[in-house]
Amino acid sequence: MANARSLVKRLKSVRNIRKITRTMELIATGRFKKAMDRATEAAAYTKKISEIVGDLGQADLKFSHPLLEERPETKNSVLLVLTSNRGLCGGYNGAVLRNTLRHVQQLKEDGIEFSLEVSGKRGIKFLNFQQIELDRTYIHFEDRPTFAEVDQLGLRFVDDYIAGRIDRLDVSYTRFDSISRQEAVVESILPLSSLAGDSDTKGEGGNVDYEFQPSPQEILEELVPAAFRAKLFKCFLDAAVSEQIARMVAMKGATENADEMAGTLKQQYNRARQASITSELAEIIGGAAALE
Amino acid sequence: MADLRLILVTPEKTLFDRPVASIRVPMFDGSAGIYPARAPLVGRLGIGELVLNGTDGGSESYLVEGGFVQVKGEQVSVLTNGAMPASEISRASAVAELEQARAEKATSEEELNSLAGKLDRARKLVSMATVD
Repeated sequence: MANARSLVKRLKSVRNIRKITRTMELIATGRFKKAMDRATEAAAYTKKISEIVGDLGQADLKFSHPLLEERPETKNSVLLVLTSNRGLCGGYNGAVLRNTLRHVQQLKEDGIEFSLEVSGKRGIKFLNFQQIELDRTYIHFEDRPTFAEVDQLGLRFVDDYIAGRIDRLDVSYTRFDSISRQEAVVESILPLSSLAGDSDTKGEGGNVDYEFQPSPQEILEELVPAAFRAKLFKCFLDAAVSEQIARMVAMKGATENADEMAGTLKQQYNRARQASITSELAEIIGGAAALE
Repeated sequence: MADLRLILVTPEKTLFDRPVASIRVPMFDGSAGIYPARAPLVGRLGIGELVLNGTDGGSESYLVEGGFVQVKGEQVSVLTNGAMPASEISRASAVAELEQARAEKATSEEELNSLAGKLDRARKLVSMATVD
């Protein structure tokens, strides 16, 4: 039987850990709600963009823009990896990085030159350990990425793509489908395959005869980069929301485990205590019996 | 009288969604006023001041940084990369930004364009600044 003293020590530390994980769960819940609100608000912008795209569609315009054109052969590509700065969020980073490694392998096999840009300390550490060369690293994207910060990247990608320095941009991140479902994916966001969901532009309000200023073509020229930047921003927001959900789930699991462990330890301790009392009693009775 | 409703959206959030009496938006080539019952319009915005006159007679202004405007029936949607209420623009920081932009030197076509944009923005900021 384990001794009671060491059991008390373990019990205490398990309870302390439970307090920590429980607090982290609560913090993650709060942050998740905030991140979720931001993501919902950002969706309004994307929706409006696709509405205007739909409006432009009525103007008998051919959608042609450098960002929409697929290059005949892909020589240079950029892979942007979005991971978290902090750990303790279950399989969140693991899933993204596994995908990233697979994608890097694929790029190498296809003989495509690629540069790797990683956001988040976890990803940076892991890829450094794998001895994969990183071209740019960011650690300033926390759980509240601002549009201005993301836009700096976005503008650079747009310039590079139009100038032909890159032929493709892939993002490896965790896509947020619903609260109970997030998936680590590698998505190609340049060339833009479709304009912000122009497939579901409904003919709501019938045919409105718009006046275009300056001209549909020139509006399109501005609109396409705006749609791309909104899409990139959405990737960051999705990643932030998913991270908080992953942490919430992981910490909930840890708290439950700690509860269970504390229960078992308490039981063991009670048994050990009872055993020592019984043996002490037996000693006293035995001693008394020997004196008679 | 027909109504007018302004929706001001940035990628981060919806800043404004209320009925208004009239709006002035900074188009790419100058200001444009929008009154109720305007013909449908899709247009490109420049950097500048967006002024809206509320239904109660008050007016507010925002600095918007490019984007688009869409007028459809009574609904006016303004999509922009960034919008700042004029009441939050401080004169000191605006002047500082202008000085900084003036001090920069451009050597290529690209830099010249971006510098012109910066100067434009800084001048608009200075002219709109309300707080010291």
